Amino acid sequence: METRRLVLTLTSIFVVLIVLLGGLTVILVAGGGGDDTGDTAGDGNGGGDPSGDANDLGDRIEGELRLFGPDPITLDPACASDAGSAEYIVEIFSGLVSFDLDLKVIPDIAEDWEVSDDGTVYTFNLRGNVLFHDSSRPVSAADFKFSMERALNPATQSTVGEVYLDDLVGAAEFADGDADEVSGIKVIDPRTLELTIAEPSAVFVEKLTYPTAYVVDEREVGDSTCFEGNWTLTPNGTGPFKMEEWDLGRKIVLAANPRFHLTPAPSLARVTYILSGGSSFVMYENDEVDVTGIGINNIETVRDPNGDLNADLREGPSLDVFYIGFNAREAPFDDADLRNALSLSIDREFLAREFLLDLVEPAKGILPPGMDGYNEGLADIPFDPEAARGLLEQAGGAGLLDGATILTSGQGATPSDILQAVIAMWEQELGIAVTIEQEDFGLFLRDIDDGNFEMFSLGWIADYPDPQNFLDIKLHSESLNNESGYTNPAVDALLDQADGEVDEAARLALYQQAEELIVDDMPWAPLYHGKASYLVKPYVDGFVIPPFVIPNLRYVTINR
Amino acid sequence: MPAGLATYILRRLLLLPVILLIVSFVTFALGRYAPVDYVEIQAGPRAQPETIERIREERGLNDPVPVQYVRYMGNVLTGDLGVSTRYQGFPVEDVIFPRMWISLQYNAVVLVLTFAIGLPMGTWAAMRRGTWQDPLSIGVLLVFASAPVLISIPLLQWLFAVKLGVLPSGGWSEAEYLGVELGLFSKHAVLPILALTLPGVAGIARYMRGQVLEVLDQDFVRTANAKGLQAGVVVTRHVARNALLPIVTILGFELAALIGGSIFIETLLGIPGIGLLAFESIKSRDYDTITAIVLVGSTIFVLTMLLIDIAYGFIDPRIRVEGSIS
Repeated sequence: METRRLVLTLTSIFVVLIVLLGGLTVILVAGGGGDDTGDTAGDGNGGGDPSGDANDLGDRIEGELRLFGPDPITLDPACASDAGSAEYIVEIFSGLVSFDLDLKVIPDIAEDWEVSDDGTVYTFNLRGNVLFHDSSRPVSAADFKFSMERALNPATQSTVGEVYLDDLVGAAEFADGDADEVSGIKVIDPRTLELTIAEPSAVFVEKLTYPTAYVVDEREVGDSTCFEGNWTLTPNGTGPFKMEEWDLGRKIVLAANPRFHLTPAPSLARVTYILSGGSSFVMYENDEVDVTGIGINNIETVRDPNGDLNADLREGPSLDVFYIGFNAREAPFDDADLRNALSLSIDREFLAREFLLDLVEPAKGILPPGMDGYNEGLADIPFDPEAARGLLEQAGGAGLLDGATILTSGQGATPSDILQAVIAMWEQELGIAVTIEQEDFGLFLRDIDDGNFEMFSLGWIADYPDPQNFLDIKLHSESLNNESGYTNPAVDALLDQADGEVDEAARLALYQQAEELIVDDMPWAPLYHGKASYLVKPYVDGFVIPPFVIPNLRYVTINR
Repeated sequence: MPAGLATYILRRLLLLPVILLIVSFVTFALGRYAPVDYVEIQAGPRAQPETIERIREERGLNDPVPVQYVRYMGNVLTGDLGVSTRYQGFPVEDVIFPRMWISLQYNAVVLVLTFAIGLPMGTWAAMRRGTWQDPLSIGVLLVFASAPVLISIPLLQWLFAVKLGVLPSGGWSEAEYLGVELGLFSKHAVLPILALTLPGVAGIARYMRGQVLEVLDQDFVRTANAKGLQAGVVVTRHVARNALLPIVTILGFELAALIGGSIFIETLLGIPGIGLLAFESIKSRDYDTITAIVLVGSTIFVLTMLLIDIAYGFIDPRIRVEGSIS
């Protein structure tokens, strides 16, 4: 072999490769070029600083809050169905009403509203001083009609429009394409919007806090569907913060909206969300973010009273419940005795205190602490293996549960410790061997929707802080989300009655009665309620992780 | 260029569309026939089944898969790669190319470092055969080569980010240099490059050592030594060059992997590259994005392999094409 030939060849391979790589680079850079022009347009809107791309360590901007955020699926208010997307949307956009940090509904773009005597006609008076971010014009009632109809319009292809706006008269006809407009949305004048619902509802106004009912700028959005999202790179919203930069999958930078119409107006100059970057806890220790959640691996380090991080620890409620659902449609799980036997043999106190290190509260019912209607007086579900064995005998014996499976969502790795602990308790106390079956999340949702399971483990997080969102949505026999297939006419009657009840105290009492019946029947074995445990840097004031998604950043200040 | 070679290249290039057609159809069909689609996943538990069904119908997901495939390929041929559903509403090219660019950046550095360090190191170890340096260096390398990134990355993170505090624990940041967005010069690039280079160097060095040892036993090396050439000259001119030949194949595979980011590396370090995107796209059934990633990836793979085959022809005349192509 000639060595000269070898050298020549290797050299030419490298030349060709460099050319190829160069060509690829040009293509990739050109591909990214489209984004750059979008950014420039965004800067034109927001008057952003020219050195916006410097986000290295130490390059800090006065009044900047740095967060680790979920990578959103969409920032189109009409289309978002997940909390990860809603977290940004509630800061950039806004609606007629929103929640404050006490979880009370407050007026937002609406100044106030009146409800007709029969509880079906809501008249919202809009503020005159709410401008879109580009300051081009004030928000009018017609903008709301456009935005809500857009969410319901089948051409928009939103999956959530009908979920949150279905109370409106004419919503179903419009969503089915049988009407040209939603008759329940009327523009009385530019500052008066009238919404009519079919039946009185205690939660209608709360549903309007959800992004689906937020206002968007028709001139920007036009007839974009949920699958044409380019406009959301420079969203012209009305919320406390405006978009400065969205680098897909990498970061979102928001800047304060100086003309925001509520007090307190945002005090942060900007908020940078890092959307990817590994462990947020390590990033917090490394001073790359100002807030982080805490998981089971880190909680003991943080709780150490002599540790550096102990002073930064914050805790708050989280409106959710984690439970094991039983398929109440089919034997053997159609038997309340058997379900109660399984539930009574779970040591919830141990799970919450020893196993999850107090990161959760043991559940005694369905409703989480901190929610209106939470029943302090409800008895704890005892850990009583003796009674459990008796009930199981009564139901037909442990043999009924031979080969029983519990369905959970997972990628095939080790299933959650908590589920394994529950199964170990069942094995020890009742002598039954339950198998865990893991499924990809999408498949899991479909299977529990179709009733294709014996038991499953799942959590439910509030969309809005009302018992209706838990009891009616999850356990009414006619609800689409009643995966357990639980049916109790007495419960249904109470829930229906509560739905129409205008007196708040009476309504909550009805929900508590329904909850007691449900706990007796045990269609789910509720395990625990989450708590938000997180760290906040000492120079950040007013930051709380709310128990569900609400706009919380305008309350935050940075003092250093 | 010999005529035989030109025909050979041409034939291979003509095969490319066929390969891509097969690859794209398999990827496409795997996605479509797999249970649950993106509409269902994104709708979450609260959406009404009728709404989901209506959107499916409007988006053509209810059509027979071959019909959907023909429609998709028609669009691809006109340059439209479709719409992402994980990043709902953004064109696929806007989603994947910036991500590939990120994976390419750190992979390219890793590739250069791996060969630049691994080849001399392997040669050195082979030349020290019989001394303590050889087993020691190879033993150390073996540790790096066998430690999966799932273990090495948390260790590196702990050391550099938490303990020493000199590097960010993850993420990626870019700044503009001469009009090009580059992340290579930021501290964020150090950990992924380190985590990939260590096992890479180990692999190449061990392979190179084996090759060199084989060549050292050849007659021509003995001859070179016998005729009194200096040891250094023997190594560079006779041993290393001959040992390099099989390395070209490895180089080919490494090149083809340039834009295929590692799912593990990118997930653990939170690097928004193509590996992380692929993983997320599969979880969320982002059909068009998955198919596009596979299409672009396989195009580059096929072209690189072709390049390597051609290179072999040049390097070693004994490997001639003769029309017998595997």
